[in-house]
Amino acid sequence: MEKYGIGQPVRRKEDVRFITGTGTYIDDVAPEKLTHAFVLRSPFAHAKILSIDTSEAEAMPGVLGIITGKDWMAEGFTPIPTKSGVAKKIDGSPLNQPERHCFAIDRARYVGEPVAVVVAETLNQAQDAAELIEVDYEELPSVTDARRALEDGAPRIWDDIEGNFCLDFELGDKEATDKAFAEADHVVSLDLVNNRVTAVPIEPRGAVAEYDAASDSYKLQNATQNVHANRATFADVLKVPADAIHHVAPDVGGGFGAKNSGYPEPPILLYAAKQFGRPVKWINDRNEGFQSDTHGRAQFSKVELALDKEGKFLGLRTRTIGDIGAYCWTVGPFTPTGGSARTQGGAYLIPAMYYSAVATFTNTMPTDPYRGAGRPEASYQIERIVQHAAETLGFDQVELRRKNLMPADSLPRKTPMGLDVDSGDFPEVFERTLKMTDRAGFEERVSESREKGLRRGFSIAPYLECTGGAPKEFAGIAFEKDGTVTLRVGSQSTGMGHETSKPQILAHTLGIDFNKVQFVQADTKATPIGGGHGGSRNLEVGGNAVLKAANAVVDKAKVLAAHLLNSNTDDMEFADGTFTDVKTKQTVSMDDVIAASFEKGRLPDGMEPGSLDTDSTFEREVISCPNGCHAAEVEVDPETGAVRVEHYWVIDDFGPIINPMLADGQVMGGVAQGLGQALMEQIVYDDEDGQLVTGSLMDYALPRADSMPRMELGYYEDAPTAKNPLGVKGAGEAGCCGAPPAIVNAVLEALREDGVTHIDMPLTPEKVWRAIVDAKR
Amino acid sequence: MYEFTFHQPETLDEAAQIFAHADDGQFIAGGQTIVPVMKQRLAMPSDIIDLGRISDLEGISLDGDLLTIGAMTTHAEVAASQDVKKAIPALAHLADEIGDPAVRNRGTIGGSIANNDPAADYPAALLGLGATIHTVTRAIPTDDFFTGMFETALDEGEVIVRVSIPVPEKAAYVKFPQPASRFALVGVFVAKTADGVRVAVTGAGPCVFRVKEMEQALDKDFSAAVLKGISVPDDGLNSDLHASADYRASLVSTLARRAVAQAQ
Amino acid sequence: MSVISLTVNGNPVTVDVEARSLLSRVLRDQLSLTGTHVGCDTSQCGACVVHVDGKPVKSCTMLAVQAAGTDVTTIEGLARDGKLHPMQEAFRENHGLQCGFCTPGMIMSAVALAEHNPDLDEAAVRKGLEGNLCRCTGYQNIVHAVLDGAKAMRG
Repeated sequence: MEKYGIGQPVRRKEDVRFITGTGTYIDDVAPEKLTHAFVLRSPFAHAKILSIDTSEAEAMPGVLGIITGKDWMAEGFTPIPTKSGVAKKIDGSPLNQPERHCFAIDRARYVGEPVAVVVAETLNQAQDAAELIEVDYEELPSVTDARRALEDGAPRIWDDIEGNFCLDFELGDKEATDKAFAEADHVVSLDLVNNRVTAVPIEPRGAVAEYDAASDSYKLQNATQNVHANRATFADVLKVPADAIHHVAPDVGGGFGAKNSGYPEPPILLYAAKQFGRPVKWINDRNEGFQSDTHGRAQFSKVELALDKEGKFLGLRTRTIGDIGAYCWTVGPFTPTGGSARTQGGAYLIPAMYYSAVATFTNTMPTDPYRGAGRPEASYQIERIVQHAAETLGFDQVELRRKNLMPADSLPRKTPMGLDVDSGDFPEVFERTLKMTDRAGFEERVSESREKGLRRGFSIAPYLECTGGAPKEFAGIAFEKDGTVTLRVGSQSTGMGHETSKPQILAHTLGIDFNKVQFVQADTKATPIGGGHGGSRNLEVGGNAVLKAANAVVDKAKVLAAHLLNSNTDDMEFADGTFTDVKTKQTVSMDDVIAASFEKGRLPDGMEPGSLDTDSTFEREVISCPNGCHAAEVEVDPETGAVRVEHYWVIDDFGPIINPMLADGQVMGGVAQGLGQALMEQIVYDDEDGQLVTGSLMDYALPRADSMPRMELGYYEDAPTAKNPLGVKGAGEAGCCGAPPAIVNAVLEALREDGVTHIDMPLTPEKVWRAIVDAKR
Repeated sequence: MYEFTFHQPETLDEAAQIFAHADDGQFIAGGQTIVPVMKQRLAMPSDIIDLGRISDLEGISLDGDLLTIGAMTTHAEVAASQDVKKAIPALAHLADEIGDPAVRNRGTIGGSIANNDPAADYPAALLGLGATIHTVTRAIPTDDFFTGMFETALDEGEVIVRVSIPVPEKAAYVKFPQPASRFALVGVFVAKTADGVRVAVTGAGPCVFRVKEMEQALDKDFSAAVLKGISVPDDGLNSDLHASADYRASLVSTLARRAVAQAQ
Repeated sequence: MSVISLTVNGNPVTVDVEARSLLSRVLRDQLSLTGTHVGCDTSQCGACVVHVDGKPVKSCTMLAVQAAGTDVTTIEGLARDGKLHPMQEAFRENHGLQCGFCTPGMIMSAVALAEHNPDLDEAAVRKGLEGNLCRCTGYQNIVHAVLDGAKAMRG
């Protein structure tokens, strides 16, 4: 049993499918009589749709039909509302929320917005027909830069929304912060860009919809992270009851937030399946994905830090313009406002903080959570300004950080942003990380680089994170006579290994065989509720739901065990899969109790066979605060501007580690995405015509195996949180909170001698080269 | 992809016949460019004529100071060839840097130079080495072959059979990859040949080009130091998302110096 | 349509294909070998890598008609007699995968890399995987898996 217990690097159950090519991803789903949908997308960033003529296209071979915005509106379908946790402006009025229908109705507002959908016998036929749809567009001026969108005279994206303004937001004590700045010895300030990026899960988005006329119900198989919430959204749009849609996610090939939202294509497919009486499949290709998967980050911020003579931080002030794209997407307006505010100030003790933001519409694909959603931005802001303070005021970067970290004895502490930091030891985690980095050998490595004509730099970046996502989760445990146990959960893995970590918790708690646990997730028929995935909530909410259900099973089993041993329930103790009567020392195993639970003759009065089965719901009361520290050493080629990350170190405090192998995977994957954002990834729209310039993997660079350094990881497990029974804090997003500042600051440290003080992400070779050239001038 | 008729001729004559009768015929060698282009519906040939079954187009041979490579030889074959490694290691190295292993198993030298992508690697090598392109009907010196962006001296329907490359005294290729596509953002091929030094640049302009000023300087003294101060003008260089013209110009100088230093 | 014959995972196969059908589509849609995945349109991601005559190729960038007469191996053909290939074992053992979508192509590339390079080291593995994108793992465990798998393949 121990081999599969909590804390063990249990090998993954799901891998058996994935390494043999027998997983079932959305494009592998092929019901009988399948048809194929192709989405015709707007080629313009901003254009009136004067007319759409589908007659020629409809006459093409194999075409079942074509759906346009006009058809959609004629059905009376409703728009998809935002679920942003921040929905009011500072003055208390609601945010400006334009209607987001599944189609562009009379105006397209970003390149890639759905204009029509063709359903045909084959995908080629659908695509052939789509080319014959005649859309008469009248192109309008567009704006894709959020800063410009706020200026007077900028093209107006929504007729009834002045200034392309969605909402404003503030948090913290403005007066106290202003006072801190007024009294400070030093004030440093930086304008920072958090580059627009996108998740690029290697599996593109896609779905298969079916309609059953006899029961007037639908089945939607969808590469989504969130079946329950999206079912509710789609049902509302189509004006059908939620339980008329059976929403299932098959194996999902990565999500990172981009598969979380209520997208327009699935409801269109559901409608098409009913309309044409056949199952309909749609799979985005990669190029369409760049246009139509939600983007992330896209923030412009002014960050200011006030310090005293000794370098103690006195105040932090951040002002952000958040680019939310053409619409309020599912939670789009939340990220640059509430989402980026909570972890302002990072791991430091800063007495006064004030955060303010505006969210702005632009003619771009809307933004929505991408791994971290606001916390990577906050982490980047604080660590860049701290590095900048060290460089411009002459402090040692390590000393300045050390001096200002939240001391362990300051916890629990509510930050000026209202975040409840209850546990952790920031100085200890910082020192442990620093110890890994071989500072003693650094100067020698610098010399070696210099001999090759290269620069070498180092930086260290403590981070503070917080969890998010749906606070409630369901877990259901059902036993079979043959000893198998089915675990049904409303949380969802899109690659993180829940099929292993959740049964680990169950098997460990019940003391049963891990291999007998069957796992069911992402199915609206299997669980009454479900929060899917997002906000590093898997173990923090979902894992605790499993623990709670398992503990309830133990309680019920105790009654039966006592009955089997002729003991009192109160005398029963349970440990390592065995019930023991503390008085008689008689024992019975959980396996025996489970077996007995199916035999009527062995049950106490009032207990029915199968009554160990348990459904349970766990609700998180307060979000947790994962934290840790990253450090990076980089080499820069000043002649070409090329950056290589040579060494990378991380210590994380995620609370107790359930499966260290899976935790490592989360951290390293997060670091890779953070490195991507720091050095190469960027969604670019043309300033003039609003076209998407980075429309394929030929122009949007992703980290490859040889872009990545070898990473050394460690965990600090001595400070479990009391906020949940497992004591866990969430692991999924931390990697991309720490990596961008650690890498960018290390590059800037390397280029200090060249006089370079700041470069905006991504630090592409040209930008690095140009910064050096400009600094020389 | 649009529909087309597929042909797999076994001789060059047969290939020419099919091409002559097609409305809009398109030869396919390794297909590593044309297939993605057709997938995205950016090309609509009536007929695809696969050159993969024509045995005349295969093989690598080294005869004295002349290396000959059949047009359908894959990048992987060039990279792994003992003859190429012995005669022109820089060429084997260049082939090993094209695309990725799977692409190198399909992509061919003939396909690459016929396509003449401004960021392709082979044009730099062939121009830098002063190679000759042999088609069914004629031999074209590389100085006359690469005529513009995706343009070559090939006539309509003219098929490359092989390239012949005089073995240089020393050569090197240094490539700075575009981070997303890994095509050459800039690549510089330097060769010290019997007829003098040649410096060929890919990725930087609309078409591969030679840098005469560098060549003249290197003719006098084949050392990286001699290139100091020699740069190519930004005018006419490519400027895009990944690199503007002045950055490319700077890379040309940097990579040329490195190539000279590495040449063997 | 044209009828092509080829060998897939050791079995002779005859299949009627459109000229414009990619090898990846024919494997997936007509031969039900859905382990070969398609993750991009521009030959970058490598999720579709299969072996054609023993060499890794991107099956999304090869016409199926061009595969006539060849011997194709897909991820489904790696395990023999119910026993996983050492590279498959190594990926599982080293946690060299998360969502699993890039995995078939990654493993096929890795197997070829190991077969053609007896002295693989970390740098060679990282370069050898330049045509395979993974968005989940950060590659480190993939690199470990390939080195372990290669060692096991050498026996």
